[in-house]
Amino acid sequence: MESGKKRHKSLLGPDLQRSIPGATLPSVSSFRPSASPRQLLALACLGLLGAGLLSLARRAGLAPADLTYNNGTEVSTLDPATVSGVPEGRIIRALFEGLCIKHPRTLAALPGMAESWEISNDRRTYTFKIRAGALWSNGDPVTADDFEYSWRRMLHPATAAEYAYQLWYIEGSRQYTMLADEFLYTRSHRRGLWFEELGEGRLRVGLTGYAAEAAEREAELELRGLTRCEKDQAFCSLGTAEFSLPFDLEDVRWQPSPPQDAGHLAEYAYGDAWLMEGQASEATLAALRAAGEIIPGDVFRREVVEPELLGLRATSEQLFEVKLLAATPYFLDIVAFYPVFPVNRRNIEEAQARWPGSWEMMWLHPENIVTNGPYRIEFRRINDRIRLRKNETYWDADSVALETIDALAVDHLGTSLNLYLTGELDWIDRPTTQVIPRLMPREDFNPAAYLGVYFYRFNTARPPFDDARVRRALSLAVDREALTQKITKAGEKPAFGFCPPGMGAYPMVEFPHAQDMAANLREARQLLAKAGFGPEGKEFPTFEVLYNTDQTHKDIAEVLANDWKRHLGIKVKLLNQEWKVYLDSQKNMDYEVSRSAWIGDYADPNTFLDMFVSGGENNRTGWGNPRYDELIRLAASEPDKAHRLEHFVAAETVLLEELPIMPLYYYVTRNLVNPRLGGFFENVQDEHFPKFWYWLSDEELAEKRAAQPADWLQVPAGGPSLGLHPPSWNGTGAP
Amino acid sequence: MADQATKKMGDWGLGAGELERILSEAAKHKGESLWQDAWRRLKANRTAWCSLCFLALFTSVAFLAPLLPLPSPVSLDLQIEPQPPVAPWSQFGRGGFSPEYWELSGLDQAMVRGRVAIFDDWQTAAWLGTDAKGRDILSRIVWGSRTSMLVALAAALCSLAIGVTYGALAGYLGGAVDNLMMRIVDVLYSIPFIFVVIFLITIVNEYRTELEDHYGINREVIFYLVIGAIYWLTMARVVRGQVLSLRHAEFIDAARQLGASTARIVFVHLVPNVLSIVIVYLTLTIPAVMLFEAFLSFLGLGIEPPKVSWGLLAVDGSEMVNPVRIYWWLVVFPAAAMGATLLALNLVGDGLRDALDPKLRGQS
Repeated sequence: MESGKKRHKSLLGPDLQRSIPGATLPSVSSFRPSASPRQLLALACLGLLGAGLLSLARRAGLAPADLTYNNGTEVSTLDPATVSGVPEGRIIRALFEGLCIKHPRTLAALPGMAESWEISNDRRTYTFKIRAGALWSNGDPVTADDFEYSWRRMLHPATAAEYAYQLWYIEGSRQYTMLADEFLYTRSHRRGLWFEELGEGRLRVGLTGYAAEAAEREAELELRGLTRCEKDQAFCSLGTAEFSLPFDLEDVRWQPSPPQDAGHLAEYAYGDAWLMEGQASEATLAALRAAGEIIPGDVFRREVVEPELLGLRATSEQLFEVKLLAATPYFLDIVAFYPVFPVNRRNIEEAQARWPGSWEMMWLHPENIVTNGPYRIEFRRINDRIRLRKNETYWDADSVALETIDALAVDHLGTSLNLYLTGELDWIDRPTTQVIPRLMPREDFNPAAYLGVYFYRFNTARPPFDDARVRRALSLAVDREALTQKITKAGEKPAFGFCPPGMGAYPMVEFPHAQDMAANLREARQLLAKAGFGPEGKEFPTFEVLYNTDQTHKDIAEVLANDWKRHLGIKVKLLNQEWKVYLDSQKNMDYEVSRSAWIGDYADPNTFLDMFVSGGENNRTGWGNPRYDELIRLAASEPDKAHRLEHFVAAETVLLEELPIMPLYYYVTRNLVNPRLGGFFENVQDEHFPKFWYWLSDEELAEKRAAQPADWLQVPAGGPSLGLHPPSWNGTGAP
Repeated sequence: MADQATKKMGDWGLGAGELERILSEAAKHKGESLWQDAWRRLKANRTAWCSLCFLALFTSVAFLAPLLPLPSPVSLDLQIEPQPPVAPWSQFGRGGFSPEYWELSGLDQAMVRGRVAIFDDWQTAAWLGTDAKGRDILSRIVWGSRTSMLVALAAALCSLAIGVTYGALAGYLGGAVDNLMMRIVDVLYSIPFIFVVIFLITIVNEYRTELEDHYGINREVIFYLVIGAIYWLTMARVVRGQVLSLRHAEFIDAARQLGASTARIVFVHLVPNVLSIVIVYLTLTIPAVMLFEAFLSFLGLGIEPPKVSWGLLAVDGSEMVNPVRIYWWLVVFPAAAMGATLLALNLVGDGLRDALDPKLRGQS
């Protein structure tokens, strides 16, 4: 049977093949090869699907963190020196710790990496004692050298730290950042001059910032101006300070308008403005250069500035000494400010050696970064989340309660609110404005004063805004009460001054105005009439209000336009620009009236008022007032606290008389926080510290609710009903 | 002539009486142009006819907006929350109208004066509710329709005029000319549109005062130009493809044999034959343009507040969607107005396509 069958088959096969060769053979041969790619494709699709499902399952299987909050957006970097945004700051404060940290409620400086510090009698030298037993996550002890390195790195122009100016209170630091490497400097006359070679022995000479510092100090601001001396080596003197050239200059041409006072001097010294130009003998120059007397910028920075002129010194493993230019009452606030947090020197230098081209990115990877804060970074998924895990080597790990924290990067406000309301998030900082009336009665929404002011800038270089009466009239005709109640809605305070409340002893300063809008409007119309506009005068020109793309900014601009049109008959056009374009327009003064806001970097009026000194980088109004500049300068060098605040009050009064800006309202915080979260406090800088967070147990929550006003709407509080307390729990929430 | 004809007929073996009959029958038939035929067939299509009437009504309401007793679309009456709709039967009207608008043209100003003369300060109640700043939604929808319709019209005309001409010429001329013309389109296509828009914003903002003072070009005109510059591209491609398939058809050959000029062949013979597809594409373009207007207004090119358009209303409405409380009237009514208009436009487009298709001529 078997053989017969076989035979039958073999007989049939060739037969068939012979009879219809064109039909069977190709169909067989074409079926096989085309099947395998197709199958492969199907397999590949299946594989992809499987991988997708797997990753989804993995994501879904991610154990929830002890606390999840929305950080608002993907952080741009984790390098403390180069960050500037609020979302980055939140992560940095968890990962790193500076010499000082802040009290979560009062924001007063608490010991961090420094267990104590001493301040000299003139309040210009701070000596921080680094905490014994403070460790980096790689096991290295935290030393004074780490701070010297980190701060120098932050100040170095190659780091391009946006917040470098926060450290410019330190001796020699501003010039360190601004030092131009292409200029030449002298080794022995270090506090003096720079040269620029124009070729063939022709030199251009300018003053360095060190000259300005020396002059400011020695002459104590009583500058007699620059005196020119002839021909001999001491070529100029400033106050009692003299600056000399190590060689002769012939054929000297002077800058037509040399600096006359300290303000101008600083402008000269830190800018690239030169003072004189002349001819030196090339032989002398070459000799001086060979002798190492004349040195290029990078050598000057390394060999002269760093060891001798910069006021940063690790005097021992434990002691870190900082010399300030002047007594700065808020210096400890700056020390506790996240951009000045330290980085691990070994970490960065190893990364530089290992990835020469891309170390700036590579050292920040979770597996590479070395940190010293209460949390370390476990993983980072771009546009999803950063997971923080408690750092067991942290010196105060016993006070840290939460094991894991997730910081999500949800930028859509509606989604974020949704996640909060469904219990997926425990904290969001920006609910959408239109739901705020509905959130106000809830116990988890408690807006508090925030160190920020919303204002409009006038371009005082353009008529009619060059007239203070016009600016005052426009400012008076705005109903701030309606604005804060009906548009911003979260209990913002109408602003008639520039410095927000909440800065210690600093009083509120307001521009004169009546309580009653009608009286304000009457005055506004009179002011406009005096300025030559109105029914008897010329027609007020139509002007443009610039704002960046955002619903609230648009709403406010519409309301202001409406107020001005209705009350003063002034026509206004609105111009909306994308954020970066808007910033450019503002910097280039290419606007007439522009929406602005300022959030204080520290709780001191200086952060608000030093913006408007003449030519200040953030002035952007074209306004300047010598009296104002002088008051700000006096305040900067005034050791007595009360006197200092008086100077600021006087300065703000000048500002509000002239009104180059129109304050609208003071900010409030807008946090929606799980009522169970303990150790979270509303504070004037809206800064929050994961180190102090813990979960309240049901009993504690009930206690907290009993203490709060009865009309607050209670909302479900997720989280562990037993609470989650730090190992060193003493029964109270106080740090 | 008649004699000759009679003679011819006679040759063909037709009797004189029969000829009379045929001639009189022919006289009863009236010659019908393409457009007459299309119009007749459009009227027969009830859906399309209703839609057309709806559009006509809407357009006239939009045009006559200043004359209607609506509240001002810009007058602010700040509220903590948007006010819900008031049914017309519970409150029909109220006083307190204030004639606040943006800068209106002379005709509109005259209409506003007429409105004040007729209705004084009487205005309709907030039948469709108000937004968060107390502005009447009905009024904003009506005033917004003016902008949106104008934008849609401008884009449609640009798309029609440039796109159809360009595409038909390229398709008909063929060869190197076609190649060159379509490569130009490809190049224009490849420019990322968003960059063009941002570039234009920057330029316009830089020179806005000069442009306005010297040339009378404001941002809205620029906006129309941008739309015109973009929306003819696809139209040109579509038309060119269609023309390519028709250029060797018998009727084109016939026209060429008879000595018709290129322009005549393109515009008299080809274009009517591609009209159906043009209209379909146009009805797709208009909604896209309306949405695009919203997007551009949001970017800062296009309509500036306090002026209003459906796009801005849609953006405002979508901002109001949140899990705590949905102010549905801010979303539903503008969306319904926009949706109804777009549906009507689509139905009219559908009807027009059927009515204009030469292949369906004489039927129904």
